[in-house]
Formats: sequence, structure tokens, C-alpha cells
Amino acid sequence: MNPRELTSEISAIVGAKNCIVEASELGTYECDGLTSFRVAPQMVVLPKSEDEVAAVMRLAGEHGIPVVPRGAGTGLSGGALPAPGCILLGTSRMKRILDVDLENATMRVEPGVINLDVSRAVTAAGFYYAPDPSSQSVCTIGGNVAENSGGAHCLKYGFTANHVLGLRIVLATGDVVELGGPSLDLPGYDLTGVVVGSEGTLGVVTEVTLRLLRTPEATRTFFATFPSTDEAGDAVSAIIASGIVPAAIEMMDRLAIVAAKAATGLDWPDVGAALLMDVDGPIAEVEHTSESAVALVRKAGALAVRRPADDAERALMWKGRKSAFAAVGRISPSYIVQDGVIPRSEIAKVLREIAALAAKAGLRVANVFHAGDGNLHPLVLYDARAPGEEERAEALGGEILKLCVRYGGSITGEHGVGKDKAQYMGEMFSESDLDAMGKLRCAFDEGNLMNPGKVFPTPRLCGDRPGVYHPHPTELAGVAGRG
Amino acid sequence: MTGALSAREGTAADAVAGVVPRVVHTPSTRTECAEIFRATSAQGVAIAPMGGATERDLGAPPRRLDAVVSSLGLNRILEYAPPDQVVQVEAGVTLAALQDALAKEGQRLAIDPPDAARTTIGGLLATNAFGPLRTRYGSLRDVLIGISIVRADGSVARGGGKVVKNVAGFDLPKLMVGALGTLGMIEAATFRLHPVPETQTTMRARGLTAAQVRAIVAEMRERRLEPAAVVALGEGGAWDLFVRFEGFAAGVRQQRDRFAEAAGEVPCAADELSADDARLHRVRHDASRTSGSTCFKISALPAAFAWLAAEVLPPLEGVLEGASGVFYPTLGLGFLTGDAGDAGDAAITATIARARAALAPSRGSLVVQRCPLAMHATLDVWGPPPPAFPLMKRLKERFDPGGRLNPGRFVGGL
Repeated sequence: MNPRELTSEISAIVGAKNCIVEASELGTYECDGLTSFRVAPQMVVLPKSEDEVAAVMRLAGEHGIPVVPRGAGTGLSGGALPAPGCILLGTSRMKRILDVDLENATMRVEPGVINLDVSRAVTAAGFYYAPDPSSQSVCTIGGNVAENSGGAHCLKYGFTANHVLGLRIVLATGDVVELGGPSLDLPGYDLTGVVVGSEGTLGVVTEVTLRLLRTPEATRTFFATFPSTDEAGDAVSAIIASGIVPAAIEMMDRLAIVAAKAATGLDWPDVGAALLMDVDGPIAEVEHTSESAVALVRKAGALAVRRPADDAERALMWKGRKSAFAAVGRISPSYIVQDGVIPRSEIAKVLREIAALAAKAGLRVANVFHAGDGNLHPLVLYDARAPGEEERAEALGGEILKLCVRYGGSITGEHGVGKDKAQYMGEMFSESDLDAMGKLRCAFDEGNLMNPGKVFPTPRLCGDRPGVYHPHPTELAGVAGRG
Repeated sequence: MTGALSAREGTAADAVAGVVPRVVHTPSTRTECAEIFRATSAQGVAIAPMGGATERDLGAPPRRLDAVVSSLGLNRILEYAPPDQVVQVEAGVTLAALQDALAKEGQRLAIDPPDAARTTIGGLLATNAFGPLRTRYGSLRDVLIGISIVRADGSVARGGGKVVKNVAGFDLPKLMVGALGTLGMIEAATFRLHPVPETQTTMRARGLTAAQVRAIVAEMRERRLEPAAVVALGEGGAWDLFVRFEGFAAGVRQQRDRFAEAAGEVPCAADELSADDARLHRVRHDASRTSGSTCFKISALPAAFAWLAAEVLPPLEGVLEGASGVFYPTLGLGFLTGDAGDAGDAAITATIARARAALAPSRGSLVVQRCPLAMHATLDVWGPPPPAFPLMKRLKERFDPGGRLNPGRFVGGL
């Protein structure tokens, strides 16, 4: 099918203005939050409904055209990076909240609904949606499902996967499939659990049933400063070992604190490390755990512990933390964000090793991360204008990931593998592990049309579908049977 | 013949849903376990993986069965890092043995089905077992962070990892939960753990209607209480509600008092169980789950509990003798157990079909977890396959092209 015919057929499905082919307009879509990779798609299609998605997918499937789904494009691993010649399928127009069921604490939404809008829709009734990626005011639920997004508060409440009860997805063939549902434990394989976090490689999500939580009765927050990340790491270990399950514990090192101060005007002191911690729950429990945690933090060598006077100050503290990535832009022209995970008891040791690797590479690394679950976010700072510096920064980022795997961790805790880290999958998984994942993928998408080139280091061919019985002609004629 | 392939002859005691295997292998290492699968792959030997055999009759009778591979020899705790609250264990470790080891460090796996002394980790995962703590901590899919399986061809595949937060690669761990060994045999698993709470208490309200049970649950939510377990035990339409609070002493005391207030709003009387009575309650809970020849697992919307109790449960109770219900009203899940009575298999099958039809609109379900073997002739224990069944079938074909892993035992004959 030539491009003009394709445009005309797609336009017939979604309307001409929702089928973008002008080079000048395609530029917006050539990368996501990871801007170092750029590929222009063949076209961008913005369907309004599941039926439209299915029709587009059927057409693409028939003609062997790859499809890359995209939410808000805030992803940091290049998961929504277009594949050459692909249809980029944006879900931004599918943004209806379909159903709110407070009795059962669920909500059914289209994939283009913004993460924060889910909570906003039920705040007045005393409910919220727990996963809170830093981009939550702009990122979409569909994107969160693709990436199994986390956030600061997933230490206590879990990730997107723990809050999705059911899905509707469209496969590469255009077939619509319903997975899970509002009731638990539907018999059969847990394909909802498989699709969440599959980075758009299995199908396009068209509807999501979310679990809502009751807003906790009370939240207590404190901000503690330390001479170095060693003491801060010890404090995290001591809190966890005491049996407290904080809602969040975030750590920032000196460089990250400097950046956050520059961006927000917070009067944070110039110290080696800081922790920002939330505990939440019933009020008496929270009073007890916050007092215990503060005592443990002091014992671990905190310089000072500050508690917000009111909700406004608390919000400002969290703003300082959540804006830290962008804030790093104030102290460095360019940076790479990594997302490796390590066992949390190794934080202090690994941070020292990262510092040593950075010194060797002649680069600065700022650390701002989810300490409670060991999910590091090393920000490798560099200047793209300086010859060779970008390559050195990328090499350092790779070294940091390998370091995380050596400590028994993961190359990604919440940003996804995408294009960015596909080459490192082999550090974590054997050929046999990847083969099993490939088999799973083939069951969903034999033609390798869904978001190709992501997650896996090398494309996997599905070959003939196994186990499909081809009857002998005599059987068809009723002459012989299979006994 | 290698040691790995040494096997004893199968007996009636080894039967899987009534089908007796020719042989039983009990490998003592994971290498041997994989070797059994590899060596028998070419002949297409049909295998049922087996742990503590507490759910040996779950599912349809396998279409064919040559060998049972027991995980009981794979009984090592491979790695336990208390500061990280993570443990990696082989599949044959019993839940009780694991909890004992974790308790020494003040930790636990927050999964508490009946029969922990016999239930193995592999069996737990393959059957998606759970108990009262699911109320607060979720199910196995929420605490499983890594898995290692032996595939049909004897190759070993791992998914997930050893850290609590990890999104690298497809979520094979979740795929294996509840898959009943039809995609591979679980050889090891890694879990996130929780601290054993400083203290706990169980509150009780007796003789409630289902509407009152639902009203207390709603009042608790209104007061933002965070119970660790909410269990309703019932026979014949009257329910005893048990609510456990866990945590630090000050918080548990406050939640206990506010539970009493919540019960007062309904209104109904509530009391606090002594430690001995709390243990007896647990015994009664477990007995209700495990007794009787027949067990229905029922899933519905949590808010529909009164409807469920009025419309769906009575006919099901009618076909069971000594029916006894265990429901988790915040989850919408429960079990109804008893002995298949004199109603006749046809009547039971018809009653189950009507219950399934009533549950279907909200994607609720009724699975016959256990029944007299003769009933399999007329009864599909899983019920109608879910909407995604064609996809599940393709997945099974990819993972087990020869159809040798528990063939026919799972949903829709997978």
C-alpha cells in the first residue's frame, strides 16, 4: 500500500485532522522524554475510540506496518520512540473517565486520562489513586500501564501493576481482548499482570480498570540532613529494620540538593545528603511511627530534622524533591537519568562506587532517588558541546547499570527498558530467560509489529505457530479420523 | 540412566484429580529437576508438577499423565537478606518452614492459606493460594518479585529479580501465579517480605446479616481503619465477622476502639478476642476452608456481598451437606465448602451454572476447587473460559508446544 492510500484509509477511520503526515508536525512526535534518540514516524494517528484503534490496527496488521503506542510522551527510556516507518498511535484523545464505583473502589478509564486526574476525580469523596510518578500531572494512565510506573509512594503501596484490575487491549491483528475485570481472580492466566509493564510490545491498551484507595487519615513528613550519604543510607536501613513501612523515603545527595534549591528557592542547607520521608495511616499509628523514625534518624547521625509547619510547607518540600530532575538543568547543560535498582542495604556502598566511577570518567553525578526500595536515579551531568563528553556520559551510565546488576539489582526500577536499556537486558537475563519472554510476545504479536526494537536486545522471530493441528485431507474428507 | 531419572512407581496415593501417574520423580536438586524434563521431552512424557499435594485434585483430570515431578526434594532457602526484606527459596520449601526461618528475623511472608505445614512455595504459587492477610497485603502476585521455572523442554527461565522494584522484561512471575504448572514447573521463587507486627488483635461481631457485614466494612472505610484481615464465617445466612488489626501498640489500640464505634453504628455488639480465642478462630477458619468433599471458590464485587448472600449462596448451600462459608468481604472473595449431598450431579451442575451466570456480568466467577471425582464427568470445574481464552491458548502452545505439562487440567482444557 502506498503512503497516499494508507493516509486516505486511516483518515477515513479517524478523520483527516487526526492523521498527521506533515513533516513539520511529525517533529513533535519523534522522541519521548528521552531526547537523545529521534526517529520520525510515517504518520501519527490519534484515534478517539477503541473501535477506531481496532480499525487502525487491523489495517496496519494487514499491511505489516509497525505500530508504536504513545501516551503523553513523558517516558524516560525511549519506549514511545517511533520505529522507522511506523504508525505512531497516540491515545491523547481517549481521555474519558468511563465509570467511578466508589462502593467497590474502582474506576474505569480510557488510556489518555492523566494520572493526577484520576485522583482529582475522587478526592472530594476521600479516595485517591496511589501510583505517583513525578510526571503525574501530565503522564497518562495508558503510559503508566505500559511502563508499570512507580513513584515515591510505591514503597508502601506498590506500582501500577498492583493497582490495575482489568484491561481492554487491541492486538496487532485488530482483535479486541478483555483481560481481568473488577472482580478478583478471574480463572485463567494473569494476562493483566503480563500486559502491565510490557512497554507497548503486546498491544494497545484501550481501557483500564483501576483500584482506588481511601485517603489515609494522617500523613507525617520530615526532612533530615546528614553529613554524607553513608549516614543517610544507615538511617534508611535502621528505619526499615525497625518494622516501619514508610509511605516514602527519598534521598538526595549534595549535588541534587544544590540543584533543587536553585530551582525552588527552598532554604535547604548545604549538606552531604538529605532524606525526605512520609509515613501515613491511622493517626495513632502515624504519630508513633514518625516519632520512632525521627529518633532512628538522629541516632544514625542526622545533622538536623525539620518537620513542615503545615500542608503548604509539606507540599513545598515534596515539590523540591519531585522537581529535582528538571532542577539539575540549572547546574548542568545536559544530563542522563539512570534508573538502576540495588538491594537497599547496599545504598551507601554503591553510592561510593558510583562516585568513584564518576571521578574516573571526569564527570559529576547527582543522586536523587527512592531510597526505601533501593531505586537509584543517578543523574550523569555533562556538556554536549564539549567534544567526547556525551559518549563518556553514556559509557558511565552503562557502567552504573552494570554495577547495579552486580549487586543483585536491576537495570530499571520504574522507567522501563525501552530503547535506552535494551542493550543491557543481557546483563540481567540469560538467553533462555529472554527466549521465554520472546515466546510470550509471540503469543500476542506473531508479526513483531507492536513497538518493535524495544525491550529486547535483538528481535526474536516467532516462526510457525506451534501446536496448531493441520488436518490431513483424508480427515477433512471424513475418510479417516484421529482416533 | 542418571540418578535424576530414578523414579518410583506411581500409586493411587499419587493421583492427580483421580489420574494415577506411571512414575513419580523426586529430584533433590534443581539441575536434576531440569534434567528430568529434558530427558523426557523427546518422548512427550506428560508431567504434573507436585508440591505438598494439598490441591492435588484442583482442576480437571489431566488428559494424560505419565509422571509426577515432586518438588519436595527442592527444599532449600537459597538466599535470605533480612535488611532487604527479600528471600529466595526453592519450590519445595513448605510455607511453615519458610515462616519459621523468617520469624527468627522478625519477618514474614504475608501469605497465610490453611495447611502451611504441607503447602509448598511452588504449590502456593501454582494455585494462587491465599488467606485472611490478603485483605491488607494483597495476593501472591503482589509479593512475588522473581521466579525461576523449568520449561517443557528442560530449559530454565527466570523472570523478575531479587529487588522489590524492577520493571526489566516481561512479568513472568505474575504469569506463573495460578497457572497450575501448565506453562512450566516452578523451581524457585523470590519474595518481598513484611515485618512481623509488634502487636495484633482480633475483634469479633457475631450473628450478623450479610447487610450488617457490609455495613461494618463501609463504616470501617469511612473511619479510614486499615484492618490486616477481615473474615466473615457463616453457616445458614448468619455471619460472624472477625477483624484483625496489626501494627504498633498505640495504633492497634486506637483502631480497636474505633472498630467498636463502627460496629455500634450498624448497630451490633463487638468484642475483642483473647489470644486463645484468636487461635481458635484461626482453626475454625482453616477447618471451614479445608473440610468437606466439595469447595466452591466464589468471586464477586465486594459491595455485592448482601446480594451474594441472598441470591447466589442459598442454592449452592442447598446442594451441600454441612455447608460452611468463609468470605473476605473487602475482597469479594470467598469459599463455600461442604459435602456434595443427595441432590445428584446434574442438579449440582445446574445450580453451579446458574450461580456462574449471575456472577458473570461483573466478571465474577465460581471455581469448583474440590469435588468428588465422579462429578468431573458432568462438571467443568473452571466454568466458561474467560474472554481472553484464545490468547491464553496461544500462550500455552508457545510455552508447551507438545502439550505435556498438566495437559487438560486448567481452564478450558489448557
